[in-house]
Amino acid sequence: MGKERWVVGAELPSLAKTLSQDKIDRYARASGDFNPIHVDPAFAAQTPFGGTIAHGMLLLAYLSEMLTAAFGRAWLAGGRLKIRFKGAARPGDVVTARGRVQRVKGERGICSVECLNQQGQVLVAGQVEVKL
Amino acid sequence: MNKAIEALEKGHQLSATSFVLDEEAVARYLEAVEDEALPRLAQAEGKAWVPPMAVAAQALRSLTEEMTLPAGAIHGSQELEFVRPVETGERITCRAWLSHRSLRGGWWVLAVEMEGADESAQPVLAGRLTVMVPR
Repeated sequence: MGKERWVVGAELPSLAKTLSQDKIDRYARASGDFNPIHVDPAFAAQTPFGGTIAHGMLLLAYLSEMLTAAFGRAWLAGGRLKIRFKGAARPGDVVTARGRVQRVKGERGICSVECLNQQGQVLVAGQVEVKL
Repeated sequence: MNKAIEALEKGHQLSATSFVLDEEAVARYLEAVEDEALPRLAQAEGKAWVPPMAVAAQALRSLTEEMTLPAGAIHGSQELEFVRPVETGERITCRAWLSHRSLRGGWWVLAVEMEGADESAQPVLAGRLTVMVPR
């Protein structure tokens, strides 16, 4: 990906993933995070969420895949991320990761990034800084 | 070591933890998150890189185990800086400390700063997370 591509306003290549309880369970096994809010439907039903929700770090993995595809090694070496979790992703949701170059400061680009569900609700929002 | 949230004071240093992400663990992670970009990049560069969020997730797991967060704890925000790519099989040691603790609407709000380093004590990642814990 050439540096010249990353001008202010340029969109990062978005990606979409469909969540399922099976995928959330698989992530729990891969990460070791078995918090019952993610993997125990009976427990999760008693919480304010009313059901299981995906791990926040699973959504960040989707953002990271997008950023790896966009920036390559520069994301892995020197990439910075600052996000807030704003909504819960649930089994059945289609999560879209997307981003846009907001500013270019010297050799570094500052991008807004977010994950949305199929209703356009923001699940994760924040900023990423990476060497261009 | 188990610690109740009430006993965790601001500035509290968590015990250092270390982990290794081997080839099997990385494959399991990549399958779980369906990441196609990292294997493509690693192959192009001839490296056995670990996905950066796999390193971060493992670091967070070791922290939350150390803090013994109760069921229902929620991840509120996350900051991360990846200093360099981690390779499969590298041992990473994490140090962390509690930088904030407050009560808000029946929830504990905790902020934890963390640093991960390689076996030469060189930094590989740093971060800050906030977590909300039902009181």
